[in-house]
Amino acid sequence: MQERIAFCLFTGLLVLGLLLGVAGCSARGGELLPKKERLRVATTTSLYDTGLWGYLEPMFEEKYGVEVDVLYAGTGIALEYGRRGDVDVITVHSKAREEAFVSEGYGVERVPFAYNYFLIVGPDSDPAGIKGMSPEGAFAKLQGTGSEAFVSRGDDSGTHGKEKAIWESAGFDYEDVRKAGDWYIEAGRGMGPTLLMASEKQAYTLADMGTFLAYKGKIDLVPIVDKGSALLNVYSAIACNPDKNSKVNHEMANNMVNFLTSPEIQELLGDYGTEEYGMSLFAPCAGAEPSS
Amino acid sequence: MALLETINLAQEYEGQPVLRDVNLKIDGGEAFALIGPTGAGKTTLLRLLDLLDVPSSGSVYFDGVDVTGSGRQRLEARRRMSFVQQKPIVFTMNVYDNVACGLRWRRQRNETVRQKVDSALELVGMDDCRSRDARTLSGGETQRVAIARALVTEPEVLFLDEPTANLDPVSTSKVEEVLAHILREKRTTVVMATHDMAQGQRLSSRIGVLLKGEIQQIGSPGEIFCSPGSREVAELVGVENILAGTVVEKEDNLVTIDVNGSAIQAVSDDSVGDGVYALIRPEDITLTLAQPTSSARNVFEGRIARVNAVGPLTRIEVDCGFPLLGVVTKWSAQELELAAGRQVYASFKATAIHTINRWG
Amino acid sequence: MTELWQGVVRAVELIVALDPEVMEIAGRSLALAATSCGIASLVCLPLGSLIHFNSFRGKRFLVNLIQTFYSIPTVAIGLFVFVFLSRVGPLGELGLMFTPAAIVIGQMLLVTPIILGLTISALRGVDKALPETAISLGADRVQAAVLTIREARFAILTAVIMGFGRAISEVGLSLMVGGNIKGFTRTITTAISLETSKGDIELSIALGIILISLALVINIALNRLQQR
Repeated sequence: MQERIAFCLFTGLLVLGLLLGVAGCSARGGELLPKKERLRVATTTSLYDTGLWGYLEPMFEEKYGVEVDVLYAGTGIALEYGRRGDVDVITVHSKAREEAFVSEGYGVERVPFAYNYFLIVGPDSDPAGIKGMSPEGAFAKLQGTGSEAFVSRGDDSGTHGKEKAIWESAGFDYEDVRKAGDWYIEAGRGMGPTLLMASEKQAYTLADMGTFLAYKGKIDLVPIVDKGSALLNVYSAIACNPDKNSKVNHEMANNMVNFLTSPEIQELLGDYGTEEYGMSLFAPCAGAEPSS
Repeated sequence: MALLETINLAQEYEGQPVLRDVNLKIDGGEAFALIGPTGAGKTTLLRLLDLLDVPSSGSVYFDGVDVTGSGRQRLEARRRMSFVQQKPIVFTMNVYDNVACGLRWRRQRNETVRQKVDSALELVGMDDCRSRDARTLSGGETQRVAIARALVTEPEVLFLDEPTANLDPVSTSKVEEVLAHILREKRTTVVMATHDMAQGQRLSSRIGVLLKGEIQQIGSPGEIFCSPGSREVAELVGVENILAGTVVEKEDNLVTIDVNGSAIQAVSDDSVGDGVYALIRPEDITLTLAQPTSSARNVFEGRIARVNAVGPLTRIEVDCGFPLLGVVTKWSAQELELAAGRQVYASFKATAIHTINRWG
Repeated sequence: MTELWQGVVRAVELIVALDPEVMEIAGRSLALAATSCGIASLVCLPLGSLIHFNSFRGKRFLVNLIQTFYSIPTVAIGLFVFVFLSRVGPLGELGLMFTPAAIVIGQMLLVTPIILGLTISALRGVDKALPETAISLGADRVQAAVLTIREARFAILTAVIMGFGRAISEVGLSLMVGGNIKGFTRTITTAISLETSKGDIELSIALGIILISLALVINIALNRLQQR
């Protein structure tokens, strides 16, 4: 008898779980509960790790009455999601690839909305002695010494792209750099996690200012090189082209792009971080490419 | 017409013949015992009769219909019979549900099921165990529940495979009581396999002797017991004096058999010159210390070679020029102070001897 | 050591305070695993019975194949489902990418070999004499099969429990096809993955403890059931 009760209880729990699951699972075109419209955004990790998206998301959701799904990705995978139509809008920071994305017809328009600078950060003691050098010069010295560790994003992200570009303008073939030695470490992860790894290893790395400031309390690194035109870091939003994928939520994607470049949000962007970090993490640049 | 009949039934297992040329007729209402040593093929034959297995050759008729081939016919016929295995498997449920299974599979109504299960449990004396988990039962209780489970569907034939082989004497007698009761009260045909000759005698009206896959003899218990058809059957049924000899004289139906130089007189149809086995049951031999005064035709003097106490009886091996085995009660053995070396007289009637032909 | 201890403390705090975010992802982990296991069981139980009770050519090969998939890497299934559900993929029309439904589909694929294979093992574990006894008592093949399933019910339950354990503890699949979207497809395991990579080790440990405790509670409850 007891056995029977227990068995019924278990089956009951299972059925309950099933119902809960089905209820919570209704895909687009929902069945059981009134479903909100969804907008999918693939964002570069540095915008996420700084907490910016956590800050902006509720505002947008309230204004437009939609659910925003923010996917944490590197620029590379974000572009791929965009090409496949699995997301509706992307926010990334790799000018060359963004322009290709648009010219190939996957994106509607490249709309810059914020910028800051990259930094080469490293241990306080600066064992490689690159403080104050230009980014290209610093990289050359690291390659030359070949003994101080450098952690690369290694994930095809915007930051990684910027790092590759600096290596190239310093005169190195990136593939050679990859094989240069144990000092060059490919992390394969987002900005925040890469900073943590570099701090752990007391190594150098290239980081955007926003994420660096946001993680300052958790890491033991300081800015070593912070001047150089190569270090400009521009974030753009691109709505995915409905011509390539009719299923994208084009209208809401446009709303998002407009939202990011709207005056109120641009002002908020400019102030973001001042309270917590003493300086703003981003500078607004509504739609226009900033000059260095 | 026989209820169950087999014609030239044979069965093979992995290329080896297990049953050969079995021709059997079982009538409705009779209690038939199949006796034989372990490995003789009793279980195999029972399974073929219950249509659980398909024979390699030959046919089985149930109620006049050949049911050897068709699966559906076999299922229908099988539903009119029941089988109790040697070590019955009980299902993981209580006793009541175990017994009710067969009825529920036949889709009978709950009320009917309850009545039938109750009366079946009462019949086997297990009605106060109905809610017990069937797997906690002892060997004897399991056997009785299995019998109830088999009977509840009111089968026309009940098969029992060595029903008490794995039980202690107390459980054995309980189960035999139940079986005897069933045989008295119900009109079920019972086919029982056993290696216990005495059990076969107690419970059945007809016995079939199965040795090495072949039926050696079919007859009433008395016939098998007293007139075994062959040496092997004789050994099986417990005839322990099997004396090889030749008929040397004949007068009417009284023959004289020469056994190792001694002359034994028996009643038989054998002719002079026939090689025979003279079979004498130990119980038919009388042992005395002095020359007996009875009318027994066969009296031999001899020495006790061995004395063996077996339960309430004592077996006395005597050497009279040929070996003889007699039994006396333990009390008699003590009173007469029978011990190895003592001189005794062994006597037995001519009618106590059963002869069978001996070849070679 | 202190890190671990801090994690434990944080875990207790979160549970006692009924932290809404933690409750939400815990509930989601449970619901998704329960759903995928439930649906998979409904399929695997009859399918397993069919496979066990029938003989056919290639049966042994099929069972071996099923067992091979017991420990298929979750990222492999994740990739497979991703390719199918992506909008450019064959099932893209359904728009299931990055939804809980996608996770359920993936988990169903994950646990089906386990539940199916262990169900077949459970049925095999029942003495063959049992269905034979049933047949000798007049059961037809289907009735004898049902009886065998009844006898194996606790072992079959174990199969479901194992499937559930695998579903609730997987990460790779949920990450790939769910997207770890806060408030929508984030589960305890994907949250642990995220928090660890972001450096919040304490929170990760806390979530890990909560996950283990959940699994423990469920297992104990189900074990009680099995004490017959």
